[in-house]
Amino acid sequence: MPQVGNDEEDLTRKERREQARAQRKAVEEAEAARAVRRTRMTQLGIVVAIVVVAIVVIAVAAGGGGSSNHTVQKGSAREASTVSKVNAEIGGISQRGNVLGAATAPVTLVYFGDLECPVCREFTLTALPSLIQKYVRTGKLRVEYRSLETATREPETFKTQQIAALAAGAQNVMWNFIELFYNEQGQEDSGYVTEGYLSNLANQTTGLNKAKWEEDRHNPAYENAVTTDAQLANSNKFNGTPAFLIGRTGGKLQKLEEVSPSEASGFESAIESLLKK
Amino acid sequence: MSPAASTHSRNLRIAMIVLTVIGIGLATYLTYVHYAGIKPACTAGESCTKVQTSVYSKVAGVPVALMGLIGYIAILASLLAPQGENSRLATMALTLIGFGFSAYLTYRELFSIHAICEWCVSSAVILTILTCLSTWRFLRGEEAPAPAQSTAEHQAQAPLTPAS
Repeated sequence: MPQVGNDEEDLTRKERREQARAQRKAVEEAEAARAVRRTRMTQLGIVVAIVVVAIVVIAVAAGGGGSSNHTVQKGSAREASTVSKVNAEIGGISQRGNVLGAATAPVTLVYFGDLECPVCREFTLTALPSLIQKYVRTGKLRVEYRSLETATREPETFKTQQIAALAAGAQNVMWNFIELFYNEQGQEDSGYVTEGYLSNLANQTTGLNKAKWEEDRHNPAYENAVTTDAQLANSNKFNGTPAFLIGRTGGKLQKLEEVSPSEASGFESAIESLLKK
Repeated sequence: MSPAASTHSRNLRIAMIVLTVIGIGLATYLTYVHYAGIKPACTAGESCTKVQTSVYSKVAGVPVALMGLIGYIAILASLLAPQGENSRLATMALTLIGFGFSAYLTYRELFSIHAICEWCVSSAVILTILTCLSTWRFLRGEEAPAPAQSTAEHQAQAPLTPAS
């Protein structure tokens, strides 16, 4: 009997030991699993942080749209240098209303833009200057500026800023005004286009009579011009800016697509082929 | 790993490989369109051309379509590599990078270019799904082995002990 009692005692002790070992093992496994989960979460966090930093760097480097910070301070030295730059670029070239270049130029490029559109700014500051230098200044090309609302959030603001540009066109300095607008374009959707902003642009526009400009801004013909531009853009199925039409002056204009707004080469080849016709 | 868990993991990996191959197809087409200078097929008018020729279609002079293609190939390589903690981490990291970049490009399409390219949106959708799947797969890790199999393995190893 004592033997049996010992066996039972041994068995119980063995069972207890095994139970304790199993419990210890379970605790260790749970701890190890928690450690693995913690490591994975840390790795995930590191990757997410790296991705966020990389995207911010790219967004800042790309500039334009959301992160541009090129609004020129009123009356600043930079503002004066922008005016000089614009005058150097288009000064001496004939302007009539929304057209830059000689009326006799054999090729016409119609540029549909939204003054608040950063990609239009890119085109105006990168590809357009070389086209002006090479073709407009030499009397081969005339560029017609037309509007299409894309980037501007408020239709009223779009109309106001476009009419302000067209009113400058009444004094044949619309291109100075729009070049200044694009050069000094503010951050998208920041509501920077105010009466003060437009008035400041008018002050910078060389050769503009401010009082007449203010008066012309109430001319209903310009509001109609904005509507006509929108209809023309619509009939060409344009839904983004910048968009272009090109052709022999006085002839049928074709859509100019597959061109990068930041590279003049696409425009140059189209102009060259039209000049040969 | 239990046969059921193994089948589940394999199916998940196959689904991810299929999505990645579709992504490679999309990125290859867009890269070809970019270098061939042709107009991408698009149901939304000129939107795709607008996006493809925008200033945001390149980063540091490299077309984003080509970057996408390289990214998808890297994801595929990580999925075809021997599976383990590191390869799952690589897949998760690559898809997250792709997802972040794709989110940035979609933002540019909507708020800077004001045009939507359906090819780019398709790629963004694929990357979003791939990111969800790869992140879940990475956090889950290897599925726990079934207890029955664990015991069997233990018994199979037992006879070796006396012989050593």
